Amino acid sequence: MNENDPNSPPPIPATGVIPPNSPEPEAFRYPGGHHMGDMEADFSPGVATPREALPLGTAPDDRELIHGVAGVVEALLRCPRRVMFHLRGETRGRVTGWLLLAAVGLIAAYGVIVGSFSGGDQWWAAPLKITVGMVAAAAICLPSLYVFASLSGSRAQLGDLAGVLCGLIALIGILLIGFAPVAWLFSQSTNSLVVMGCLHLAFWGVAVRFGLRFLSEAVTHFDVRSGSGLWTWGIIFILVSLQMTTALRPLIGTAPTLLPTEKKFFTAHWSDSFNAPRR
Amino acid sequence: MISRPGNDHFGPLLRGDIDVIAAWISRWSAGHTARQVFVIIFGAGAFGAAMGSWRAPEQAVWSAIKLPFVFVATAAGNALLNAMLAPLLGINLTIRESFAAVLMSFALAAVILGAFSPIMVFLVWNLPVSEPGVPVAAAARSVMLLTLIAVIAFAGVTANVRLLHLLRRLGGGVSAARRLLFAWLAVNLLLGTQVSWIARPFIGRVDVPVTFLEAHPLEGNFFEETGRTAAELWRHFFP
Repeated sequence: MNENDPNSPPPIPATGVIPPNSPEPEAFRYPGGHHMGDMEADFSPGVATPREALPLGTAPDDRELIHGVAGVVEALLRCPRRVMFHLRGETRGRVTGWLLLAAVGLIAAYGVIVGSFSGGDQWWAAPLKITVGMVAAAAICLPSLYVFASLSGSRAQLGDLAGVLCGLIALIGILLIGFAPVAWLFSQSTNSLVVMGCLHLAFWGVAVRFGLRFLSEAVTHFDVRSGSGLWTWGIIFILVSLQMTTALRPLIGTAPTLLPTEKKFFTAHWSDSFNAPRR
Repeated sequence: MISRPGNDHFGPLLRGDIDVIAAWISRWSAGHTARQVFVIIFGAGAFGAAMGSWRAPEQAVWSAIKLPFVFVATAAGNALLNAMLAPLLGINLTIRESFAAVLMSFALAAVILGAFSPIMVFLVWNLPVSEPGVPVAAAARSVMLLTLIAVIAFAGVTANVRLLHLLRRLGGGVSAARRLLFAWLAVNLLLGTQVSWIARPFIGRVDVPVTFLEAHPLEGNFFEETGRTAAELWRHFFP
């Protein structure tokens, strides 16, 4: 490959990120001042680097600004790399705040759908408990995420990972909202707590799967050498979240008290729910 | 890659940035010791508070004081022996260097424990309330005890793997580093477990009032208690 050939792809470092506030590096410019995006069609399929492997800041739309909660939601869905890119440097605090706002709003909105199954106090209690539970689970697991990421070689700081974690729960919220019409339809057409519980868990499971993929990709850009620590953390996060659903029960059905009076592990609670008389 | 300058003390320890850690050891000072001790007090203290909170708030305070004490006392108590073992097993370290290496591995373990303390608090929150005569409370205590042993074991293993890399960097080769690590582990395990046994209770028992130290702290040992707890849990789940 001739590096003086204007049609050759530019040299690209293996890992890392270009700071958000830095000008586009000369190394990533084509002769004549073209940007990478301008020449994207000229990339030969045989030598093109997969988009996910490109360092943040080098793909054409990584650097596009994100404006507000709507912007961050759109970016999470269409171009998560843009969110990852802006979760560094000077934009980190602002984007983290928008992600948290999006997560709170979307999860609370899904909570209303969950609460619609029982109505009454659950109209407000379910969204409140689901939102608080999701944010609390993320906060509880943040220090261990830092430890597992660092043990895997990551150079991310706690603030970086807080932003990524907000991205994870925001993405969970977005996907849950996508499932909300289906969940609402079922909640109006069944009386079974078990069916609704399983349905919500299935939707949550799908959302968490995509959320963890976002987190894994985001943390990879901090020089992570091995993914095993992150998967271990993912299991811890899932367990804490599932236990949170039991610790803050009832989320779907009703109970004399707002919070449980008996401590249980989620497996025991599920077992009791399956064996309880059908509603 | 953005690298932010600043006071990132945990990152190099957790990542095992051997060059950075070796540089710390080569110019080790009282300030470095104070910083590592502070990390141990903060990390191990948070974890101690989390596990003690199962019994009572007062127990949380006592455990937050005692767990960091166990770490520091073990590092200090074995400092001379660790320094003697190093040249005998093929790595020529001074007392200062061996103490610094051991203290940093303890600090790393404390950071990991501190990071797990929110999860431990959450676990405690979800365990049955400790009440005398309630069988489920005894089982909960066993779950608690074995969970914290698992977390401490994870922190300890991780810290020692990092210490092994550091010893290899400090000279003597792979086999010498392994021999020395094994010897340090043995003596630190022996002293550490007995210090922690003497400093018990860390969790407390539902049928015993909260206390800073037991009435007869020198009776029994750690290994007997761990075996008894495992047997108790086995009988609960498989009567």
